Amino acid sequence: MADSSKLGFFCSQWLLHNECSRGSSCIFTHANIHEVNLNAHPTGAEDFVKGTYINFNSRIIRDANRFDQKHHLGTSVLNMPSTSSHNSASSSAASSPDSDCLTPTSSSTGSKKKTTKNLKSSLPHTVTSGALESETKPTESEKSKNLQNLSSKINIDDWVNAPEFIPRSCQSYSNTLYSNFSNLNLNPDISKRKLCPYAERDGICKYPIGECSYLHGDICDLCGRSALHPFNEEQRKQHTQDCIKQHERDMELSFAIARSKEKVCGICFEVIMQKSAVEQRFGILPNCNHCFCLTCIRRWRQAKQFENKIIRACPECRVTSDFVCPSTYWVDTKEEKEKVIENYKQVLSKKDCKYFKKGSGSCPFGNKCFYLHALTDGTKVDVGPPPSHRSISSSEFEHEVQLIQRLLMLEYLQDGCPFDPDNLDIEDILNLVDFDVFSDTDESFSDYEYASDY
Amino acid sequence: MANIAAQRIKREFKEVIKSEEVAKCAIKVELVNDNYTELKGEIAGPPDTPYEGGNFVLEIRVPETYPFNPPKVRFITKIWHPNISSVTGAICLDILKDQWAAAMTLRTVLLSLQALLSAAEPDDPQDAVVAKQFKENIDMFQMTARHWTNVYAGGPHVNTEFNEKIKRLQDMGVDDHQARVALSSYNWDLERATEQLFTARLTLVIFV
Repeated sequence: MADSSKLGFFCSQWLLHNECSRGSSCIFTHANIHEVNLNAHPTGAEDFVKGTYINFNSRIIRDANRFDQKHHLGTSVLNMPSTSSHNSASSSAASSPDSDCLTPTSSSTGSKKKTTKNLKSSLPHTVTSGALESETKPTESEKSKNLQNLSSKINIDDWVNAPEFIPRSCQSYSNTLYSNFSNLNLNPDISKRKLCPYAERDGICKYPIGECSYLHGDICDLCGRSALHPFNEEQRKQHTQDCIKQHERDMELSFAIARSKEKVCGICFEVIMQKSAVEQRFGILPNCNHCFCLTCIRRWRQAKQFENKIIRACPECRVTSDFVCPSTYWVDTKEEKEKVIENYKQVLSKKDCKYFKKGSGSCPFGNKCFYLHALTDGTKVDVGPPPSHRSISSSEFEHEVQLIQRLLMLEYLQDGCPFDPDNLDIEDILNLVDFDVFSDTDESFSDYEYASDY
Repeated sequence: MANIAAQRIKREFKEVIKSEEVAKCAIKVELVNDNYTELKGEIAGPPDTPYEGGNFVLEIRVPETYPFNPPKVRFITKIWHPNISSVTGAICLDILKDQWAAAMTLRTVLLSLQALLSAAEPDDPQDAVVAKQFKENIDMFQMTARHWTNVYAGGPHVNTEFNEKIKRLQDMGVDDHQARVALSSYNWDLERATEQLFTARLTLVIFV
């Protein structure tokens, strides 16, 4: 029945007048009304035959969204002209059929009912611009009556007298609204009325126009959504401000991406943004501006075969940095860098220190540790500066020496120790103390937790 | 992770190939095997040094942990230099040891070696004999180094006096390199070199 090469829509001109001004170039199927088999219920045809060409306001606008470009070509004629800035938010007054093609897309009985009144409003004598008030809300019985009338019209082959569509200029939703509301007494609460969340989010209202109980906002130039309240100046300002802020954030992000895109790691020599997703992070050194990926710089700083002084220095310029700050993007300026480092420290300061262990352990980094030193009940503790060789009291020191002597004795008795614990020189013990007990203090700052989520 | 070394060498290759030094024939790197672990480097002797005009070949071994560890480099071309062993070609250079940095490359290593040729560090010697000569008799050192450059690295300065002395030792049945090492070590004193060579030989004979 429906020509497969066509779009599957019936040409309304042909159906109503048995002729079509577009002739053979018409993209819609030319079928006579009696050719449409009522009983066969071919897919999609049913709705049309019952007179639902109709569901302009509800379905087609939504369907248009789902259709691919090809389909859209056909249905866009049905929709509000694309030149209208409010293409989705047109009022029902402005939304009477603008074209003369019909769609047999499936539609539920409910939507058929809804659309009956649209048919009514599209009758020539009711079509007036800005005629919101002319739109009557038919009761349920009226609707069904309309439907019956419509069906009977078709059934008794009275279709020749069917209403003719007159394409009409489309008016923007807000214009219509304003003209309407200027006629009405302005409701003082109108600025409090909520905006339609569907229209605001997608630009497309879920409900047929005129049935949505919410206001449809004006289109915001910045975000392109109908999110500007037509009557609430404050909301409009607020929204514009939010949009500008969002725009600034977006710009910042795109600048960050632009300056990071080409950056090459000074260790692996690879373009960092082209590495695997896990490795696409920069390791920022606070004291110089050389660029490395986080994986490489951390691996270098963990190298055991070199002195601390070497590995804690930048591999390019040898300037020492106390820690590495991970960042998703490269930072060029001092301000940006400070911001990133501050954020990093803030993130770490919320995580429990694995040495402090909520008070049950002790942290070798003292109050220079970037992590959280807090007890189980959440109270923060200042553990003081990190312990250093010079600050250990003599009693503490003697205690350490005794401890080591005892340990060495034990080891000596067990396997034979390279040192004779009795003849152990005080220097040797000092070296052992240095090496075993306080090796951590070489680092004055700690971002030891390498697997941070930041 | 394991192939980070190979990846890095591949990238460095491009860098060395397009660098200016290559255009001036000052440094060169070649692959020895396909897996980027063994390479052959070449550096030109820097101007205004005894090594001028010579071309020195280096053996470069890239460890799996490169660039977190330095490459292992030694001279294949025999060279007379306080910081390079005249016997093994081993190099004493801090950046190839404890002063390595992960951002260094084959190019920077070769350039550093070139710099080492023009600025010897006799207080941190690899070859004690050469370092002693450098400190005590710099002219003798320079002549010796120039002679070695001529013989082993294709340098332009021929020293006929030195060659004759070597010829005489060769006539006595001594290998030319052995003769050169002995003469160089004794400031080209033929008598002392002969003595040293033949006492060593005598001891060897007695041993046998």
